Amino acid sequence: MVYITGVGLVNVDRHYDKSVRKLAFEASVAALDSSMAESIDFIVVASSLSYLQEPQLDLASYIASSMGLRGVRSIAVESGEASGLAAVMTAKSLVDSGLASRVLVVGVDKLSDHPSWRVYRNLSMLYDSESDAFYSIGLGGVAGLLMRLYMDVYKVDRQTLAYWPALMHSNAKANPYAMLRFAITPEKVLEAPPVAEPLTLLDTFPLGDGAAAIVVEGRAGGGAIAEIVAVESSTGFQSIALSDDPLKIESLETAYRRLVERVDVKDVDVVELHDSFTITGILELETLRLAERGKAAEAVAQGNFSIGGEGPVVNPSGGLKARGHPIGATGVYQVAEIALQLSGEFPGLRVEGARGGLAVAVNAMGSSSYVAYLKAVR
Amino acid sequence: MDWWSPARVWRSRVYRYRLIAGRCKSCGRAHYPPANACPYCGSRGLDNVELPRVGRILSYSIVYTTPFEDKDKSPVILGLIDLGVTRLVAEIVDVKPEDVKMGDRVEAVFRRISVDGGTGLIVYGIKFRPVRMG
Amino acid sequence: MVLTPERGAGVHGWGVYIPRFRISMQEIAREWGWPDHQWRALGMIEKAVAGPDEDSTTMGLEASLNAIRRSGVNPADIGAVFFGTESKPYAVKPSATVIAEAVGATPLTMASDLEFACRAASEGVKASIGLVASGMVKYALVIGSDTAQANPGDVLEFTASSGAAAFVIGPSKGSAAVFEGSSTYVTDTPDFWRREGSRYPRHGEGFTGEPAYFAHIIGAVRDLMEKLGLKPSDFNYAIFHQPNGKFPLKVGEMLGFKPDQLKLGLVTPFIGNTYNGSALIGLARVLDYARPGERVLVAPFGSGAGSDAYSLLVTDVVEERRDKAPTVDYYINDKIVISYSIYAKYRELIHVIRE
Repeated sequence: MVYITGVGLVNVDRHYDKSVRKLAFEASVAALDSSMAESIDFIVVASSLSYLQEPQLDLASYIASSMGLRGVRSIAVESGEASGLAAVMTAKSLVDSGLASRVLVVGVDKLSDHPSWRVYRNLSMLYDSESDAFYSIGLGGVAGLLMRLYMDVYKVDRQTLAYWPALMHSNAKANPYAMLRFAITPEKVLEAPPVAEPLTLLDTFPLGDGAAAIVVEGRAGGGAIAEIVAVESSTGFQSIALSDDPLKIESLETAYRRLVERVDVKDVDVVELHDSFTITGILELETLRLAERGKAAEAVAQGNFSIGGEGPVVNPSGGLKARGHPIGATGVYQVAEIALQLSGEFPGLRVEGARGGLAVAVNAMGSSSYVAYLKAVR
Repeated sequence: MDWWSPARVWRSRVYRYRLIAGRCKSCGRAHYPPANACPYCGSRGLDNVELPRVGRILSYSIVYTTPFEDKDKSPVILGLIDLGVTRLVAEIVDVKPEDVKMGDRVEAVFRRISVDGGTGLIVYGIKFRPVRMG
Repeated sequence: MVLTPERGAGVHGWGVYIPRFRISMQEIAREWGWPDHQWRALGMIEKAVAGPDEDSTTMGLEASLNAIRRSGVNPADIGAVFFGTESKPYAVKPSATVIAEAVGATPLTMASDLEFACRAASEGVKASIGLVASGMVKYALVIGSDTAQANPGDVLEFTASSGAAAFVIGPSKGSAAVFEGSSTYVTDTPDFWRREGSRYPRHGEGFTGEPAYFAHIIGAVRDLMEKLGLKPSDFNYAIFHQPNGKFPLKVGEMLGFKPDQLKLGLVTPFIGNTYNGSALIGLARVLDYARPGERVLVAPFGSGAGSDAYSLLVTDVVEERRDKAPTVDYYINDKIVISYSIYAKYRELIHVIRE
C-alpha cells in the first residue's frame, strides 16, 4: 500500500522571479511540511523542458542539493508531458519494492523564461523528431489535424467543441493554484486568435511556470491524504499518421485496460484529464469510455462531467487549459489535486464525498500514456 | 545555431530525399520513416519501399505558433497525408491556406525543410502541394 | 567531311520546374517608381518567384525527376550529374550531390556544380555530349537552375526569376533528339558579374548587349551553321538565351531567323529570365511540341562571356516521351500571383536577424 502523506503546490503563473530550483524548492517544502515527514529516502524529479531550456542535465541531484537534502538518493524522470505521472509511478515502485520508505516527488517546468517562439520549438520536441516534428508543427499543429479530422468524421461543429474550454475556465475560477481564473463563453473560444486552425488560443494551455510535490510513503499512519492504488502506462505510435484510428488514443486505452485488469477500479467520482488541447481532452473522454465515440463534445456541452452533471467530475482544477500545464510538473499537480479531492481538502471546486479518482497523462497525441488510480482513505 | 548535426542529416538523406518507407516482411504494412522494427507487429524483418508521390489530404491545420526561424512561411499548413500504403504528417506548400480542402490531391515536392541559422546546414526533404491540373 | 562526334549523343529525357508564384511587372514598377515603359520595352508580362522553401537545388531536383521520367532510364545508369547555377545554396558544398542522391544516381557517378553565369548548364550539356559520345558514361544528367538574384530597384529585377530545366543525355540511339553539332564562342567580356560575398550582381547595362549577348551568340551560331553547312531556314525552331523578351527576337533577326521560328521557345515573357534555365526551358518547350524530323537550334549565353550553339534533330521517339511528365506549359499556367512584399519575403530581400 502506497499513500500520499503530503502535498505542495505552487500557483501556475509567470514566475519571472523564480528559477526552476526555487519553484521546486517551494513546492517540496510545502509538501514536506504538510506531511510532517522528518526525512525522505529518495527524491524523484519530473521535468521536461528544463533539459533544453535551463539547460541542465542530472537535474534531480542539483535540485536535491539546492534544497539542502545532503546525500539523499535521487533520480530524474523524463517522459515529456507525462513526466509527472511517470515520476509518481517510479516513486510508488520504489516504495512497493522496499527500496525506499518515503519518497518526495517533485515536478517542475518553466514556460515563461524564453520567448514564446522558442518554447514552441522546444515543445514540438514532445513529438517525434523523426516524423511529425521533422516538420514545422509549431504548438498544436498535430492537435489541429486531429480536431479537424474529428469534426469531419463525426460531423461535430466547432461551436460544440468550444464548451470544453468554457467548462475548464469555469472550474478554475475557485482554484487558487490555477493560472487562468476567469470565465469564458464558448463564443469567446471561437473569436480567439487562431493557433493551429481549427484550434484557437483558448483551446490551448497557457505558457506558465509551476511546480508540484507530493510525499509518498508505505505506511498510512495518521497523515495519509489518499492511497495510490496503481499507476499504469503504455507506449503508442510515434505519430498519429501510423494509427488506423487516430481519434482513439491507443496508448491510453491500453494503459487503462491494464489498470482495470490489475486492480478493482471503482467509485471514480473525479478525474483529472490531460487536456493539452480541447481535442486531447475530448479524445481522452472517449478513449476512457466516459463518452461515446464522437459524442464527448456534445456531452460536455450538455453539462456532463461538471458538478451535478452526469458522469464523474472532470478537471475540477480547471485542467491543463486553465490551471495550466508546466509540462513535467503537470502529472504531479493532477495526482496532488485528486488526493486533495479525496481527502476533502481541495481548495477549489470540490467534489464532495469523492471516493476514487483518476489522473491521466498523455504525451503528445499518445506517444505514451499514464493513468493513476487513487482511493480515499477516510 | 547548429541545431542539426551533419551526421544526422547524412544518415537520413536517402529516405528523406526519395520518400522511402519501411515495409514489414511479416505483416506487409508500410511505415514512414523506416524504423528498426515494424511499428504494427514488431517484426524486425523489414525491407524498403518507395512511397507513392501522390496522395490525399485526410486533415490539415493552419499553424501560426511556429518557431521564429519558420516565420517566413507562416502560417504553416500542416497536413495528415494519406498515401494509400501509409500516411504521414507533413507540410503542405504552394497554396493559400484558404484554398486547402479536405480530400484534395497532393503531390510530393522536394523542399528545404530547415535552414540552420545563417551558417548551418540546409536540410532537404519532401513536402506536399496540391495537384492543380491534370 | 566535318567530324561531328556530337551525333553520338542525344536527349533522352527533358523536364522543367517552374515555381508556382508569379509577380507582375506592374507590381515591381509601382514598388520602385519605374515608368511602365521600362518593362514594356523588355517584352515582359510576369516572372516566376521561388517559394520560401525553394532554392536552385530543390527546383533542379524537380526538373531532374521530370527529365528522368521522360527518359525512362534507370537512375543508377547515370554516370554524370552536372548542375549549372549562379545561385548556389552553399558557397562551398556541391548541390549536384544532393540531386544525384535524390534521383538515385549515387554513388558511382560524377557530380559537379558548374559556374559560367547563365551558361554553366550549357557547358554541362557539351561536357555530357563528350562523355556520352566517347562512351565514358552511358547517361548524363544536366541541370540548369537558378533563383536569380537582382538588386531590388535595379532594372534587372523585372526579369531575374526562378526556374529549372534538366536533360538526360545519352547515346543517340533511342534518344528523342540527336545532337548534330555544336559550337562554343568565349571571350573575356565583363558585362555582368557578382563578386564573392556580394548578394546581388552588377552589370554594364547597355554593355551587356552588343559586345556581350549579341556578339557571342552570333559568333557561336554562325560558326555552327558554317560547320554544318546549314542556314537559318533549315531550322524549324531557334531558341536563344532570353534575358528579356526582346533580345532573343533581335538576335534571331540579326542571324536571319523569322519570328515564327522563335516564338515557341521564348518563355521569358511569361516566367522571366531563369538564368541557367532560360534557353534550356525554351528547348524543353520546343521538345514538348516538336515533330519527328524537325531541326532545332539552341544557343544559351552566359555573361563573362560565352555562348554555345547546338543543332538537334528530333526523332520519332519524341512522341512517346512527351506525356510522361508535366509540360512547360503546365508549369507556366500553374500559378499564384503574389505582391511585392511577399516576393521580397520569399526571396529574402528583407533583412531578418536569425539565431
